[in-house]
Amino acid sequence: MSCIMVLAESRQGNLRDITFEMLAKANELANQMNLKVNVLCLGKNNESMAKNLSAYAYEVFSIDDELLANFNSEIYRKTISKVAQEHKPSLFFIGHTAFGIDLAPSLAHELNLPLITDCIEIIREDSKIVATRQMYSGKLNARVLFKEQSGMMTIRSGTFKPAELKLSGNIVTKPIPEEFKTGHASNFLGYEEVPTTGIDITKADIIVAIGRGIKEQKNMPAVEDFAKTIGGELACTRPVIDAGWMPKDRQVGSSGKTVKPKLYIALGISGAFQHISGMKSAQTIVAVNKDQNAPIFSVAHYGIVGDLLKIVPMLKDKIKEMKAGA
Amino acid sequence: MNILVGLKRVPDTAEAAVIPDSTGKDIIKDRLTFSLNEADNYALEEALLLKEKYGGTVTLLSFGPKAFEEVLRMGMAKGADTAIRLWDEKFTNADYFTVGKVLATACQTLPYDLILTGCMATDDGYAAVGLTMAAILGLPHATYVSKIEIQNSKAKIRRELEGGLLEVKEINLPAVLAVQTGINTPRYSSILGIKRAAAKPITVLDCAGLNLADPDFLAKTILEKLYIPIVESKAEFLEGAPDEVSTQLAKIFKEKGVL
Amino acid sequence: MNNLESISSEIREAIIESGGKEAFECYECGMCMSLCPWFQVGNVQFPCYRTPQNVRLGAVMASEEKEELAKEIAELFRCVACDNCKAFCPRHVDMGDIMRAVRRILAEYDSLPKELKDVASKFYNVGNPQGDAPEKRNDWATGLDLPIYKSGMEYGYWACCLPAYDARLKNIAISTAKILNTAKVSFGLVDTNVWCCSETLRNFGAEKVFKELAQRNVTAIKEAGINKILVTSPHCYTTFKNEYPELGAEFKPTHTVQLFAELIKEKRIVPQKPIKKKVFYHDPCTLGRQNGIYDEPRTVLQSIPGLKLVENPIFSREYSVCCGGGAGGLWQDWPKEERIASVRVKQVKDTGAEILATACPYCILMFDDSIKTMNLDIEVKDVSELLVDAL
Repeated sequence: MSCIMVLAESRQGNLRDITFEMLAKANELANQMNLKVNVLCLGKNNESMAKNLSAYAYEVFSIDDELLANFNSEIYRKTISKVAQEHKPSLFFIGHTAFGIDLAPSLAHELNLPLITDCIEIIREDSKIVATRQMYSGKLNARVLFKEQSGMMTIRSGTFKPAELKLSGNIVTKPIPEEFKTGHASNFLGYEEVPTTGIDITKADIIVAIGRGIKEQKNMPAVEDFAKTIGGELACTRPVIDAGWMPKDRQVGSSGKTVKPKLYIALGISGAFQHISGMKSAQTIVAVNKDQNAPIFSVAHYGIVGDLLKIVPMLKDKIKEMKAGA
Repeated sequence: MNILVGLKRVPDTAEAAVIPDSTGKDIIKDRLTFSLNEADNYALEEALLLKEKYGGTVTLLSFGPKAFEEVLRMGMAKGADTAIRLWDEKFTNADYFTVGKVLATACQTLPYDLILTGCMATDDGYAAVGLTMAAILGLPHATYVSKIEIQNSKAKIRRELEGGLLEVKEINLPAVLAVQTGINTPRYSSILGIKRAAAKPITVLDCAGLNLADPDFLAKTILEKLYIPIVESKAEFLEGAPDEVSTQLAKIFKEKGVL
Repeated sequence: MNNLESISSEIREAIIESGGKEAFECYECGMCMSLCPWFQVGNVQFPCYRTPQNVRLGAVMASEEKEELAKEIAELFRCVACDNCKAFCPRHVDMGDIMRAVRRILAEYDSLPKELKDVASKFYNVGNPQGDAPEKRNDWATGLDLPIYKSGMEYGYWACCLPAYDARLKNIAISTAKILNTAKVSFGLVDTNVWCCSETLRNFGAEKVFKELAQRNVTAIKEAGINKILVTSPHCYTTFKNEYPELGAEFKPTHTVQLFAELIKEKRIVPQKPIKKKVFYHDPCTLGRQNGIYDEPRTVLQSIPGLKLVENPIFSREYSVCCGGGAGGLWQDWPKEERIASVRVKQVKDTGAEILATACPYCILMFDDSIKTMNLDIEVKDVSELLVDAL
């Protein structure tokens, strides 16, 4: 009865992308290992989520209860471990998200499974499962194995490409056991939005950063507009803070924030080492600068020598076109 | 209110080249400086703030060899009362479970109302020790905690979710809370604090002292090999008129899937 | 810094043990306060004159209150080790030593501004503040065909980390090499197995890291057989001359301006191309006040045809005002109203100078930044850069 179990992650009734990313990887491995993929879906009014998930799994265990409407690691743990104990998964995938990492260690302990967190690759090698995870903020990769045959993994968001599948899994609806319905040591009270003044640029996936090359405050709307189009947060170097054009919490550099976004677009930033130390670990760095010898180009992956004020509006239009076409 | 805080000493690698050593299981450390793990520093500060507000004691725990006393002393210089270092030669090849188990065992011998840790260490980024300890102790827990308010025997907490959302929760005490960086502003040590901390004893507990038997703390995972991932180097310059380079760049964004 | 309610003999003893015993010589005249460069910066009154008094009382960092501590740390780490206070103290109190003593205790417990801690880590890791690869230390010389120092050569040239790795500053090292070649000076580059001189580290309190890196340099220079070391940065100069001997160093430093002045005197180089500009020479603290080298850079500049040297007697030579880059100041980020460099640049601009010349890479970075921020029309150049243009 062994299987690969995937915990679907949803928030406020919507399945999150990480669910499909994990399911893609789980199905890929399951084919190699001759296992079935089962998915757990916990929530309230789960019908449409469960139906959606049935295309990606052999069985969908849907546990539908008012108590599961919002994530609560305690109730989730008890409920999930009951199902998992019946199905004894070889591998158990959970998202390495605020939701998943709050749950995985205690669930792994309860199921007596070893845990490997924040995995960015999982392969089967000579009948062993080998996980790759990053250490030292991505400066090293580590190959990590379970001591036993089976185990739990939390999976980093955005690592695996979701795949379109057309299985027609069985939806099994299960109740939440009565004994789990009371006596909780923790309770969900609600969600709150982080106040917008306190945008944390360290958490942004895309950062559009500006430096001295912006020249005048009247040029700000152009880059603001561009950042909005590309879906990024604006950040800057110290001179822009000095000029009073942006708040201090947007500063990148040794005396500001250290950021590691997926994409960092440096506009008119020459690249003083104080600035570079705060952004050089970004996954993709694009620099636009008039000076071909600007040090920013030594850390950039793509460079454009030119005037940001000419390139930015053009690039904005191209991206708009591309998004409209996609 | 008696608070236990778990502290880890980590190498400062944010700016440094990190190179695997000859065993491939650890890194070359002789050119690295070390610090208290960033998130743990916030956990420590949170404990000190709660102590200032509600009285009680702050006890520091650290799993590691002698050098880890450095971070315990830093914590005592800032105002923690006592410190315990947990170490035994048998703990080499420790993983998250070993550390969680040893910490939990030490906690069981101490009085506490709250246990605080950082949400993640900057070296291994495992993010599981605090909550494993909670699981072993059978305590309620939360991670990525960005605000703690004590209300009688409960804590009302906020924790950070993705996309700028906070989850508000109520948790019975005692509990394990793994705090997020930025929850407070960590303090500096005073010279007097430093002098006092230098003179304070640090309790050291090994397997025998903890009454831990061999299989109980053995690692559940194997770190087989560390290696430097292949990264792209040097800028590729895009050339042409603004219109052309913009088209090229937009295409690259699409291919790389960053948009 | 003046929390007199909570005083402690333990604090006093700790600071004295760490090197601050001269605090007892102070009789609180307040001279140092009026001389501190921070005194010229808007509302900042860095109260260094109280420091000796507070050391004697054991009142430095005596408060256990978090906000008060943070304020005191910020103030204590303002000191840029310019030694203006020491130079004019009627009791010859070495305030630098006292500040260093206090910082040493704090730095050992990571009780220092984060920027400085990060810089210390980088020094320790790769031996330069930029965090660049040690083996790239001589990359600035690519294409210049300069040899590594071999026995028999006269000078080992030590470019300093800033020119070695910084895109703007490497022109100083290149200019220097060209001048040396023109004058047929026998020299080779110090190999890449050395580290930052670490002068700045010692001044902001990272004593352990300083000692370890400096010791490695002493060994490497000795093994290379270098007796005369030519330096571009007066920071390297002052620590090599005044501090390295305590670690067993036997080599003697020469600053480039000293050698250039000599080469001009001996007519081994003759500046011929005119530079028709008004030039103000800024005396770096580490070259002027700390080592008395005032005339040589002026000799070099005055030898350039057409160049008009302007002075401001109130703020020149021993009265020079620090750029703010010393003792970790380069990595600290004060709001723009609180920058010593801006005060200095304005003083210089007011003399009508078109070029601010100096002989220190720290000063150049600090001034360049302020000039850009203040949008002033004045250029900053190293003496070597002007000299090479005149040859």
